[in-house]
Amino acid sequence: MSSQPATSITVTPADYLDIPEERRRAARDHVATVSKTVRKVALELPLGADVDDFRRNLTAEAK
Amino acid sequence: MSALADFPNLSARALSTALAARRISSEEATVEASRRLEAAHTRTNCVITSERDEAIAAARKVDAARAKGEKLAPLAGLPLAHKDMFDRTGKIASWGARIRADKPATSNATVIQRLRDAGALELAALHLTEFAFGPTGHNYVLGHARNPWDPTRITGGSSSGTACAVAMGAIPAGLGSDTAGSLRLPAANCGITSIKPTWGRVSRAGAMPLALCLDTLGFIARHVEDLALLLNVVAGHDARDASSSTVPVPDYLADIDKPVAGIRLGIDEAVISEAHPDIQKGLERALAELVATGLVKSSCRFPDWNTIDHLTQAMQLPDAASAHAGYMMTRPDDYGPQVRARLEVGHFVPAVDHMTALRARGTMLARTLETTFKQCDVAILPVTADPLPTIAELDVAGGPTVQQIMARVVKFCRPINYFGLPTLTLPIPRSAGELPVGIQLIAKPYAESLLFRIGQAYQKRVPPMIAPAA
Repeated sequence: MSSQPATSITVTPADYLDIPEERRRAARDHVATVSKTVRKVALELPLGADVDDFRRNLTAEAK
Repeated sequence: MSALADFPNLSARALSTALAARRISSEEATVEASRRLEAAHTRTNCVITSERDEAIAAARKVDAARAKGEKLAPLAGLPLAHKDMFDRTGKIASWGARIRADKPATSNATVIQRLRDAGALELAALHLTEFAFGPTGHNYVLGHARNPWDPTRITGGSSSGTACAVAMGAIPAGLGSDTAGSLRLPAANCGITSIKPTWGRVSRAGAMPLALCLDTLGFIARHVEDLALLLNVVAGHDARDASSSTVPVPDYLADIDKPVAGIRLGIDEAVISEAHPDIQKGLERALAELVATGLVKSSCRFPDWNTIDHLTQAMQLPDAASAHAGYMMTRPDDYGPQVRARLEVGHFVPAVDHMTALRARGTMLARTLETTFKQCDVAILPVTADPLPTIAELDVAGGPTVQQIMARVVKFCRPINYFGLPTLTLPIPRSAGELPVGIQLIAKPYAESLLFRIGQAYQKRVPPMIAPAA
């Protein structure tokens, strides 16, 4: 009996959109640059950083 | 000079006073505004739908009520116009696009309703970049907007039509939105002013979303006092928009004429040095005027600008892509090439990066408030990185360079949306024949009143200019 699954699922971003290969490559390249920066931020971000911190901090400044 | 003869120079505040004193009728003002708007459209392509007849009929009703001595709302009979992206009962907004809502709106956007309650009239629905997703004023579906000072050049976007109509003296002020610079860029490129309020200060209920985590509604005007006047009308919590702020709204006009001496103006030399030399020279001229009003120069330092810009993109791109996912799957060919290409990019941003950008936002804001604003009360930056380009120079449609070129256009604007900070745009002083350039003053959350005070003092030294009709 094989240990491999009968089918494999490949997740291709935006495979539901009809995007020419040139634009697909350009999009990937652009996002790769953005992601590199974002991941550096992630390295330093506390575990407890919360999406709602932003609104809390905005409002706190008004008090 | 009669109020009618002086019409293009009047602020909304002055025009409202003239209307109340019956020095000009609402019908006269609306007909004159309409005539000027038609000329502005011929020059700039700023109108999507004229509502001249409805506005004049409404103006006549206001005049009749005023003649009877009825108590009227503060802006009664004042002709204004808005970017064509707001719900209005019985109407379908164009969104600057081929794709539109299936049926007419069943309620008014909160900003529209509040302006109506204050008595303002709606003269037209104005040009915008397709789906408000573009910083140049190019619209590959409805035609590009043209700059009123030089129609071969861009207006900036996406609130392009509002800026054109205001710059040409057709309306004193108009409504727009700003996700990554869409109020500031057209205001700067057309030589006028704008307020992008604190994120959440103005309800977005009934406004077409682009990226809700960043979208902010605000005004473009020739006179700073009109930005204050109109923000007074629309600001404040709205149960229809859960993200709208409950922070009390001050009277933005109350302190507008107070002195500004001693207010510290922060300059981040590192960020500014990335602008074209001519933009830096222009900023120096504006700085000299601000110092002459009494502001004191100080240095400040924003967090790494490139990092903030990338965090903003990691938020904005998937947010916009998600909003459009349904139409992108079912009607991709109905999009113009530029918006389609830019929306596609958002589908490639990993969900983890999107969440990191959202989670880091509060930390980055706190850091900015603690460090950048420790040494200053407001910070100054250019609005644009380069002198005003031609429409042809930036006509890149959805080509391979689109992300890089758009990134340069919004370079000094987009990161400010990440912080959600209020920002006032002011025109740099210039002589006849020079093209417009703008600066932005950035303040702490909810410090719009401070920005208006500075802007009011600045305009006493650098008065508004009207763009030529031909």
